[in-house]
Amino acid sequence: MKIFDSVFKEILSSQVVSLIGGLIAGTILAIYTDKLLLIPGILILLPGFLEMRGNISGSFASRLSSGLFLGVIKPNKTTIKLLKGNFIASFLLAIVVSLALGLLAFLFNYFVFGVVIYKIITLALISGIIANAIEIPLTMFATFYLFKKGHDPNNIMVPFVTSTGDITSIVALLIGLVIV
Amino acid sequence: MKDMISFLKDLTQLERKQYHPLVHEVHKKHNISKKTLFYIREYGPHSHVFRTIFKESIRILLFASVLSSIGGLAFENIKQIFISIIPLVILFPALNDMIGDYGGIISSKFSSMLHEGRIEGEKWWKNKDINTLFVQVLIISLITAVLSSVISLVISSFSSYSINTSIALKIFLISIIDVTLLVTSLFFIAIYAGMYFFKEHEDPNNFLIPITTSLADFGNMMLLSMLIVLFF
Repeated sequence: MKIFDSVFKEILSSQVVSLIGGLIAGTILAIYTDKLLLIPGILILLPGFLEMRGNISGSFASRLSSGLFLGVIKPNKTTIKLLKGNFIASFLLAIVVSLALGLLAFLFNYFVFGVVIYKIITLALISGIIANAIEIPLTMFATFYLFKKGHDPNNIMVPFVTSTGDITSIVALLIGLVIV
Repeated sequence: MKDMISFLKDLTQLERKQYHPLVHEVHKKHNISKKTLFYIREYGPHSHVFRTIFKESIRILLFASVLSSIGGLAFENIKQIFISIIPLVILFPALNDMIGDYGGIISSKFSSMLHEGRIEGEKWWKNKDINTLFVQVLIISLITAVLSSVISLVISSFSSYSINTSIALKIFLISIIDVTLLVTSLFFIAIYAGMYFFKEHEDPNNFLIPITTSLADFGNMMLLSMLIVLFF
């Protein structure tokens, strides 16, 4: 049984990249504990909010990569129907899921803890919009850049999206908190 | 060439959910990969790209949101203990990412093994490829768990949080127990669910990744909250 082969190295290196992003996000979270984590219901919202970025932008990057390899998406043409459809769908999915996460946090807060806090819904929605306004274009340009440089974006984009996604999500929550 | 173009046009008119022998026919006759044909059928000129993506993704995303929120509820219950342990706050997003990623890696690798015909017969536990994958993922998860614990403790030491041997040991134990239990459980879930979907002539990729990543996140939050209560 050969354990320490190229597959082992590939998985380990991608996980180290993902880990660094997670730890940076965790450090920001720890610095702003008094502002962010003291909001009632924020821990109900937070895991889904962090996960959403990977789920939406990860699939977006994967669809773009398939399109690039098949030649139906061109890195220099950003006006084609397939790309526009992907972009709009990812953004709208993010808005709907952010709203759903906010509503779930509100309902759990109300039914389990007896706390009524509407702020959690607007916080989820505004932060979701901010985070995706950064993450979706970033994912698109990073996928195009890697493809143009001759790399397979599939191998790099998943750890890239999860690590940058965590950081943008926490920063977006902090900005959202200021706005709300 | 004319023949092929007319075939491809017919393909774009097919119902998305419908399996059609035309896909197989075009693949065989014109040597076009099944992935390309899938893309033509899914996002062809007559399809509405936005609607297709939205409709296919929204249900699983909402399901994942509900599952994460339930997991988050367990965490909200122990909020006061959680936010008082700075190394755990730092570790939390990294640990969550890690477990979800391992769920995805196990699922996609096992799905590829099934498609390539490398898993034959019922005695999967005797298969060399499966054993190698399990040992590899377990070793990597342990390395990353230890590494992330060390980094979170180092970062915490710069804050006012006082770290002693007992706390450091608890942080190490929590992350090691968490990844070991979850990676092992995800492995068994992926194998049994993957073999079931493959027998039902479905593509395990479409089911295993959402199932394992959602269960990984949910399981991680439940297990972490139990371990925090147990150790602190």
